[in-house]
Amino acid sequence: MRKKKPLSLAGKIVVGIVIIVALLWVLFPFYWAFLNSIKKPADTFQPTWIPYLQFTPTWEHWKAELAIPEIRRALINSTLIGVGAASLAVPLGTLAAYALARFRFRRFDNGSLTTWFLSQRVMPPVLFVIPFFLLMRQVGLLDSVFALILLNATFILPFPVIILSQMFRELPLELEDAAMVDGASRFQAFSQIALPLVVPGIVATWIICLAFSWNEFLFALALTSKDAIPMPVIIAGAEHTRGVQFWFVGVRVLLTMLPPTILALLAQRYIVRGLTLGAVKG
Amino acid sequence: MSPSTKTTKTTKVSSQDAAGHSTNDNTGLFFILPAVVWILLFTIFPLLYAVFTSFWSFRFGQRNQFIWFDNYQRLFTDQNIRWALFITILFVIITVGVQMLLGFGLALFFNREIKGKNIFRALMTLPLFATPVAVGYLGITLYYESNGPINLFITSLGGTGRPWLSNPTWAPIAVMLIDIWQWTPFVFLVSLAGLQGLPQDLYEAAEVDGGSGWTLFRHITLPLMAPTLWLILLLRVVEAFKVFDIPTSLTLGGPGRATEVYSLFTYRTALRFFDHGYAAVQGFLLLVIVMVIVTLLYGRIRALYEMPR
Repeated sequence: MRKKKPLSLAGKIVVGIVIIVALLWVLFPFYWAFLNSIKKPADTFQPTWIPYLQFTPTWEHWKAELAIPEIRRALINSTLIGVGAASLAVPLGTLAAYALARFRFRRFDNGSLTTWFLSQRVMPPVLFVIPFFLLMRQVGLLDSVFALILLNATFILPFPVIILSQMFRELPLELEDAAMVDGASRFQAFSQIALPLVVPGIVATWIICLAFSWNEFLFALALTSKDAIPMPVIIAGAEHTRGVQFWFVGVRVLLTMLPPTILALLAQRYIVRGLTLGAVKG
Repeated sequence: MSPSTKTTKTTKVSSQDAAGHSTNDNTGLFFILPAVVWILLFTIFPLLYAVFTSFWSFRFGQRNQFIWFDNYQRLFTDQNIRWALFITILFVIITVGVQMLLGFGLALFFNREIKGKNIFRALMTLPLFATPVAVGYLGITLYYESNGPINLFITSLGGTGRPWLSNPTWAPIAVMLIDIWQWTPFVFLVSLAGLQGLPQDLYEAAEVDGGSGWTLFRHITLPLMAPTLWLILLLRVVEAFKVFDIPTSLTLGGPGRATEVYSLFTYRTALRFFDHGYAAVQGFLLLVIVMVIVTLLYGRIRALYEMPR
């Protein structure tokens, strides 16, 4: 980090103002959602900002929403989709990542293979909506959580491949070499030596994959109709027909976006690496 | 690497580990094949199926007639797709432009020792993982015309509230603002990481030579950051072209077609009008557009990364 001269008082004030404005900008929507979720309908349009001091909060809306079977179902579906897709993609991706880091392929060089994995992120998902819809209809997998797990796993697979192959490359080769000289197989060198060393990275990648799958909306909208509906689909567009009920919007929005945001806070150290597909280290 | 492992052509793939030791077996394949097969199965196969679909007309969601390239020809006369493309490109240029300026500016600002910087950085990651549909949905209340918080803020400053979601000029701006809220932190976090990796001795040398802040920025920071900035631009442009979630939940593409971005338009062609063949063609057009942009930007990034420092 760059060492600059200590700030003057005026400089400190400017820095303080920028931080406060940036934080207000970033955090306001979250607070607004929370505020609405605990306001009584009658208080909704009052410009009051502090619970207990300016208005009496209520947890009624949270209870009411969580009692709705469709919402519970959607929370379960979202969890299954997120955990399922991440748990499929991360092992597959870890193996491929190790291959890219430790082997040199003749037919296709490693650079092209990496680019090929990356290129999966370039494809516009809407291109896949039609074939997936028609194919899933044919095999009877419309409106199934299973289908969404498979699709999400496919589209997040580049993340573990790219991120983890970098982490494997950063490990010293000598450890695995020594083990193999002592008679360990390549697979043992991988599973007993390399793998444990990248566990933090694997966990972080798993979290990032889970968050992305949880947030996925296009395929979920196209392929679910009743039983498999996850949270992002249940909230989309409902209010346009019923009129806006701010208090329920607040609860549903938080139920949907708190799990991925909180999980992502745990993967802090790896987020820059994850979001740039390994190109920039955080 | 080591030439001693020249294998006969019968071996499809010969493997050597990175240090140059030959392994002379197909262990590498065992590691990489599952992922490759998985992706092939779930992308190449559907893509081929989409090509097949694109040659058919559909009636009531069923294949009707093989019509060769008729669906492709429709692209040239369709006013609606032209609008969808226009509004999407406008969206990409404005949102990505603002995100780059704001994010990089903020990163330059925070590239110093500030108390609590790590907490600030952590909080900045929150919008990145907030479900986009949920943010759009929350936007309906944020942009609420009478006494919504945004209009309340504007009026408290002495302005007049805007008809954010009901006016065809303001609705696209409302959508863009949410995208800017969500993705500016991305530019910020990545450029901050880039800035902190810059070699400090260059600055010290330049400061000894009496370089001012602007000179340092112009001649050291900017050239060294160029690869990172181009990369951020590439990643953002690709994602921005796919925009779907926010306009779908915030405005349903409306009012009228004011916020009917490309993916939403194609989605509707496919699953509201069940015109699967034409929707497949639209998907391919988007793929081509994105591929062209990626190729151009990627070439630029490659050149920058390979440039001797």
